[in-house]
Amino acid sequence: MKTYILKRLLLMIPTLLGVTMLTYFIVRLAPGDPIEAMIRNQSGNIDPKAMKESADKIRERLGLFEYHFLRDRLYGPEKEWEEKPTGAVFWVTDAADKVASAGVGYVQWFARLCMGNFGESIKYRTSSGSRNAILLIIERIPVTATLNIISEFLIFVVAIPVGFAAARYQGRWFDRASSFVLLVLYSIPAILAATVLIGFLGVGGEGLHWFPIAGLHKFGYEKMDWGASLADLLWHTALPVVCLTYGGLAYMAKMGRASLLENLRADYVRTARAKGLPEGRVVYHHALRNSLLPMITMLVLTIPGLIGGSVIVEGIFSIQGMGLLLLEASKAYDLALIMTETLLYGVLVLVFLLIGDILYAWADPRVRYE
Amino acid sequence: MSSLLPTTQSGPTVRARSYGDIVWRQLRKRPAAMVSLGVIVLLAFVAVVAPFIAGEVPIRWVENGETSWPIFRYLDNLEYAGMLAFLLVLLLPVTVRLVRVRAERAATSPFVRALFIHAAVWLTVTAVLIAVRTPERRYGFFLERVGEAQSAWFPFIPTPRHPGYESLAHRDKAPTWRHPLGTDRLGQDIVLRILYGARTAMTIGFVAVGIGASIGVVLGSISGYFGRGIDLVLMRVAEVFMFIPQIVLIIIILAVMPSWVPQLWAVVVVIGVTGWTGYYRYMRAELLRVRGEDYMTAARALGIPTWRLLLRHAIPNGMAPILVSATFGIAGAVFLEASLAFLNLVQTPSWGELLNDGRQHIMGTWWAWGSAGAAIFVTVLVYNLLGEAVRDAIDPKLKI
Repeated sequence: MKTYILKRLLLMIPTLLGVTMLTYFIVRLAPGDPIEAMIRNQSGNIDPKAMKESADKIRERLGLFEYHFLRDRLYGPEKEWEEKPTGAVFWVTDAADKVASAGVGYVQWFARLCMGNFGESIKYRTSSGSRNAILLIIERIPVTATLNIISEFLIFVVAIPVGFAAARYQGRWFDRASSFVLLVLYSIPAILAATVLIGFLGVGGEGLHWFPIAGLHKFGYEKMDWGASLADLLWHTALPVVCLTYGGLAYMAKMGRASLLENLRADYVRTARAKGLPEGRVVYHHALRNSLLPMITMLVLTIPGLIGGSVIVEGIFSIQGMGLLLLEASKAYDLALIMTETLLYGVLVLVFLLIGDILYAWADPRVRYE
Repeated sequence: MSSLLPTTQSGPTVRARSYGDIVWRQLRKRPAAMVSLGVIVLLAFVAVVAPFIAGEVPIRWVENGETSWPIFRYLDNLEYAGMLAFLLVLLLPVTVRLVRVRAERAATSPFVRALFIHAAVWLTVTAVLIAVRTPERRYGFFLERVGEAQSAWFPFIPTPRHPGYESLAHRDKAPTWRHPLGTDRLGQDIVLRILYGARTAMTIGFVAVGIGASIGVVLGSISGYFGRGIDLVLMRVAEVFMFIPQIVLIIIILAVMPSWVPQLWAVVVVIGVTGWTGYYRYMRAELLRVRGEDYMTAARALGIPTWRLLLRHAIPNGMAPILVSATFGIAGAVFLEASLAFLNLVQTPSWGELLNDGRQHIMGTWWAWGSAGAAIFVTVLVYNLLGEAVRDAIDPKLKI
């Protein structure tokens, strides 16, 4: 097992490298010029010379410098051109230079990362200077974690009993009704649920003003004692958590039903019934235990998907978590922040998949990894 | 001995049922599947003929004694291509029946042969259309000039649809006969927006999942069949895509996409290119299984070339989980596109956009968000229902 975990961890290194490389090259090699688009966004159309100057300034600050290894060699430096060359050869030269510059930029980024420097965020710079990307993200982790932990807890507590009850009474009214409700829940998009919940139950909506619709805390929550603070948190997270939970809940309940059904049809259950054990003991002692363990594994494996889903929910409810940070970072072309965030998402997925695998082996002694 | 020799049979000939026939028969028994399929065909139909249902370009226009059919001049080449595609898909069973005898003589699947014929027809016609025809794009002011015409047949809901259209007099109107689903805050008819949203949803669903499934099937079969080094490399590539949540990757790509890229095609390609890993994993697992089967060994012993082995024997036998997950995948893609439009990450005529527009006044303009929400919900629901039915028809034990 230890060797297996070690091997998995070692295999993760090229994958994580690939994750960062993919993100870096997407951002660097996007067609058009995102930096110029960003300047145009901020200050409207300015004349080409001023545009070039400020674009170069930003590139230098971000470590996004464009090198012209090939172009300078073939066409000479840009200052000496009489007019801009055209044609396929020039285009290919330029493209090759762009890829090479991105490569250099990636190596520089990686070298800095190895020294523990995640880069400075340009979006969140203050008068006292820019902020380190990793610090910005670490600030946001508890928010996203809170949402996801509450949501996972709810999924576990509700989905498993529902799924098991449906399997226990297969084909009866509870099974049919729950299957229908779960399928409907599974098909409601989170954006529709959020719209309806905010509109009818949210403060500032047009219905009952029951729940706040933005943020995680009331103003001045630091001064409250822990009980009031927790109540405030739950009150604030109620709507986003509902939006985040119901889809996964429907999925897990379906899985729970299938899992118990599989065990109820197994030979050992027939044996238990044949030797005259009471039905309750057969179901709750034998079959249920065997179906519960794979459910825990499956729950761990759904966490990465849930984290992805919370990007949308955070966007809708403007909750200052990792997802909203990513949305803002991408809009601002904040490379350091985007890179750090994707790296972190990669590590998170990796960790949960690994935990899932280990749990799976732990729950079922027959599973052995070489 | 004589019993081993083939004998001439009297009585009715029994045709061997293909795998597709069996699955289709199973599917026909499930009412939920048939209803879902009907809804999907209906959605595709209204998406394809949207300009005939709501819009500003008249179908027939008589002015100064001259009769013209403006809508056919105004329809885009891709709109004609869409209509043709819809027709060709509906006519597929007919072609299958027509080519059955010839296909069976050549020992190929009649379905695949019909599919190829239709694809060739579609590609040829579309290419010729794009090369030859230039659609009319000037705004004709038909609705304003209706008094000048002796006779005009408009779409069922005559309503303006052009950039910059804004009618303060007609904005936020509750449903009436003129506007069966009301109007939005710019005065645009909601039926019109739902119809064009259906186009986006259909395009996203079929094209994005088509791209994703194609990449997944090709790479998955290479990886599963050849194994070794290429499998190791491809698996790492797939892992890279699996380790970044799809939505995160899409947000990053859309953020750096320059504004001149058409938004609809950007989001279609992005959803397709980032969503191939699921199909890849299923195909790879299936080919690992198929590779060792006796019929594969037999085929290899007959000296059939590898490409033919893969195309004719291995991949068709591993398609079941791909079909099921593609059906669920369409639901997921529609979901995803609506969310992206809702968050204003793409500007497409989408249900998500309409939902976001209408949510500011949930009581006041319930028709706007209500119809958009209902449209997304119904579409996702029918694809999920169909997916479950297809899975049960193929193999209830498939874990998808």
